[in-house]
Amino acid sequence: MRIHGILSLVFLLPLLAQSQPRLPQNYYWQKLDNGLEVVVIENPKVPLATIEIAVKNGAYTEGPEYSGLSHLFEHMFFKANRDYPTQELLLKRIQELGAIFNGTTGEERVNYFFTFDRDSLEAGLKFMNAAIRFPIYRTEDMQKERLVVDGEFQRGESDPGFQLWIACQKKLWGDLFTRKNPIGDHQVINTATPEKMMVIKDKYYIPNNSLLVICGDVKHERAFALAKNIFGDWAASGFDPLAKYPIPDFQPLKSTEYFVKESSIAQTPYEMFWWHGPDSRNDSAGTVAADVFSTILGLNSSKWQQALIDKGLASAASVSYQSAKYVGPINIFVVPNPNKLKECNDEIVKQIKMWGQSDYFTDDQLETAKQIMRRNKIRQSEKPSELPHDLTYWWCSFSLDYFTDYTNNCMKITRTDIQNYVNRYITGKPYIAGMIISPDMNKKFDASNTFKPSL
Amino acid sequence: MILRSLPALLLMSFSLLSFGQAKAPYEMTINGVKVIVQPSGNEIVQIMTVIRGGVQNYSLEQQGIEQLAIDALTECGTAKDDKNSFKDKLDKVSAEMYGSAGMDYSSFVMNCIRSDFDEVWPLYIDALTTPRFDKKEFERIRQDAINNLRSRASQPDYAIQKLAKETAFAGKNYAKTTEGNETTVSKLTPEITKAYYKSVLTRSRLLIVVVAEIDSAVLAQKIQALLSGIPAGAAFTEKREVYSPKHNSFKDEKRDLATNYIQGVTSAPLPGTPDFNAFSLAMRIFYNRHFLTVRTNHGLSYAPYTYFDGGLYPSGNIDVSTKDPNKYKQVLDSLISNIKKDGFTEEELRNMKTSYVTGFYYRQETNAAQASSLASNEILHKNWRRSYTMNDDMKKVTVSDLNRVFNKYITSITWVYQGDPQKVNTALYTQEQKPPVSKLSNSTKD
Repeated sequence: MRIHGILSLVFLLPLLAQSQPRLPQNYYWQKLDNGLEVVVIENPKVPLATIEIAVKNGAYTEGPEYSGLSHLFEHMFFKANRDYPTQELLLKRIQELGAIFNGTTGEERVNYFFTFDRDSLEAGLKFMNAAIRFPIYRTEDMQKERLVVDGEFQRGESDPGFQLWIACQKKLWGDLFTRKNPIGDHQVINTATPEKMMVIKDKYYIPNNSLLVICGDVKHERAFALAKNIFGDWAASGFDPLAKYPIPDFQPLKSTEYFVKESSIAQTPYEMFWWHGPDSRNDSAGTVAADVFSTILGLNSSKWQQALIDKGLASAASVSYQSAKYVGPINIFVVPNPNKLKECNDEIVKQIKMWGQSDYFTDDQLETAKQIMRRNKIRQSEKPSELPHDLTYWWCSFSLDYFTDYTNNCMKITRTDIQNYVNRYITGKPYIAGMIISPDMNKKFDASNTFKPSL
Repeated sequence: MILRSLPALLLMSFSLLSFGQAKAPYEMTINGVKVIVQPSGNEIVQIMTVIRGGVQNYSLEQQGIEQLAIDALTECGTAKDDKNSFKDKLDKVSAEMYGSAGMDYSSFVMNCIRSDFDEVWPLYIDALTTPRFDKKEFERIRQDAINNLRSRASQPDYAIQKLAKETAFAGKNYAKTTEGNETTVSKLTPEITKAYYKSVLTRSRLLIVVVAEIDSAVLAQKIQALLSGIPAGAAFTEKREVYSPKHNSFKDEKRDLATNYIQGVTSAPLPGTPDFNAFSLAMRIFYNRHFLTVRTNHGLSYAPYTYFDGGLYPSGNIDVSTKDPNKYKQVLDSLISNIKKDGFTEEELRNMKTSYVTGFYYRQETNAAQASSLASNEILHKNWRRSYTMNDDMKKVTVSDLNRVFNKYITSITWVYQGDPQKVNTALYTQEQKPPVSKLSNSTKD
């Protein structure tokens, strides 16, 4: 608990100093009167500027009747708005700006980002303002876009990795599966209306639920002035959407389940194993321990890699934790050697059982993992146009303080922290295990009869 | 012997002061090998050793050998370290060492934090010059390669591109794949692969690219040590060929997919020729029009795209995944016909030049991207300085150039298809297109 206390101290600080979050050098923060948070990152490496708006929206806000609509909404952002009332005009404007652009929809964040010449900053911000505040939803545009989103679905469904992921998620999250599935449901998307888009907009696309990041060859004084001038009259909602429309609690898994899915497009088998893990609301210290532990398991010298990769039982065996505000999942992804399926799976289960033991990894491995994470931070800081994505991800699910303190907190993780994490979320806890394999290979290697918990 | 190119230093210093804080790039010749250096202004070291030749280096029966050889450099031990000892040393300092076999050249890269350079560089020399090719480890990575081949075959984007190359470039070097297939890879042994690697690791085939903040004298000394262990080898020049299909053609494969994947391959100009830059811009504008028409206006596809593969056997490519291949083809024919009839516009070209500037600097953001650009321009265009002058070069392209190259190269198309053959009318893809009556007065202007 003492260890927990030290780590907790770092995470408690945000409660004591709400007005100014801790940020790295050359990062600047302001909050406008309407609640819009603005961060400016000065990075003159190349003469470009990147602007990004992130909204606390995504799959986690979607009950079954809205499954996939945050994603469709993101697509509609690039259709039409008050200033550019057709998609053709909108795309033309993006081309005039010479912008590189995209948007993404995840479980807990939807973001939109543009990179262009630094001299186009004001024009770019005005463009973003029109798109996010004054979208135009036409039935015919939505009908066309449904086909496109469906096309995205179909591409996913042509990928055995995606098929396995979806099958696992349904079992992992049960009745609340839609809240972890950004791509959503075909039927819901195909019957979506402009009215439903407006519901999403009015609930979540509000300044007090959004973060604007301006990054690149910019000066923070000017950037803040532009942000205030352009976004300052965006009316706040007067409520916190996550308080007004709370996300239901994910229920813990009741039992372990294994399954084998046959698919003719799976040319080689894949396996996934999933647990419910920590999250920023209940155990932010655990989220850090999870990442350090995953890094240890990625070391060539780790018992995990030696047992599976070095011995030729698998060609890939990665362990990861997906940071989240609402139950981040812990995942193992394995590409087994199909000639050694049973040995591979027996070894996986054997290794997992050992993860919680005090001697599963050495002090040297723990230190190496931490130094890897320190160096990763240097690498992650290399590309200016990527910096906003990193920041908005943590803002949506954690906080800016967590983002700033993350690497230092990784350095403080102890063996006990990791054991606590493993024992709380993995050892002896129920999990979902799925395999996707072609019918021929299933028959040849008897996967359906061997892919079972062996202990 | 070390030669440093001062005129290049003076030439480049002016134009490069205009972006970021980069110092001027320069080149050296060390023991007959060209070394290109771009000071990076950051704490990251990226060093790329390029081996020329690509798929020209091996036969159809040995496809995959170069990739497996490069994988073996870090996965099968060195003279001093077995595989685990070697990888543990890399892990200690989070150094990345990896290679990739490409169609036109291959590369072996090291990436580390600057403070770790003295520790990582000797490992890099060991991997390059004294790989062990341990039998047990080689069998392991060969099995991994086969698993990866099967996994990739499951990826529909990869599968359609492979079919396109095998079909369009049948009998040519470009029909080969760098990763090989199960038949060719399963026949490779550590002895054969090691012998192959030794045959291509010659100074006559090498190029070294460095993007890092390292004192030039120190760098020269370290590279001299690397090259001292590598034989001179016979002179080597890459072959370059033009792809010119005479007629439209169509090949389909039944696959149980949720949608249908289609790719078309056209002719394109060789790198280093006058048409190259114009075609590069024309295909980007064509991408925009294709996206607008196919996705925005007709909702026919989530991911329609076109691209220009500007390698030593260049091609234009049209890619789409769609549930309605017949409607798609009609829409595409109409689009191409309109472009040929009415041409591109000044506005499109102006906007594309603006986009090009963004892309140009976007590619300068990381050491790795800079190194790749320098290597690519040196091998393909015989001019690494093109990485810095591309912007100005593109500004010289006119609408007349765009129209001329589009008409010249987007003619006959080799089509491939994977999905449900029942959904497609083959005749739509093989019928010859009547040339539209052009409204352009300068369509043949050079």
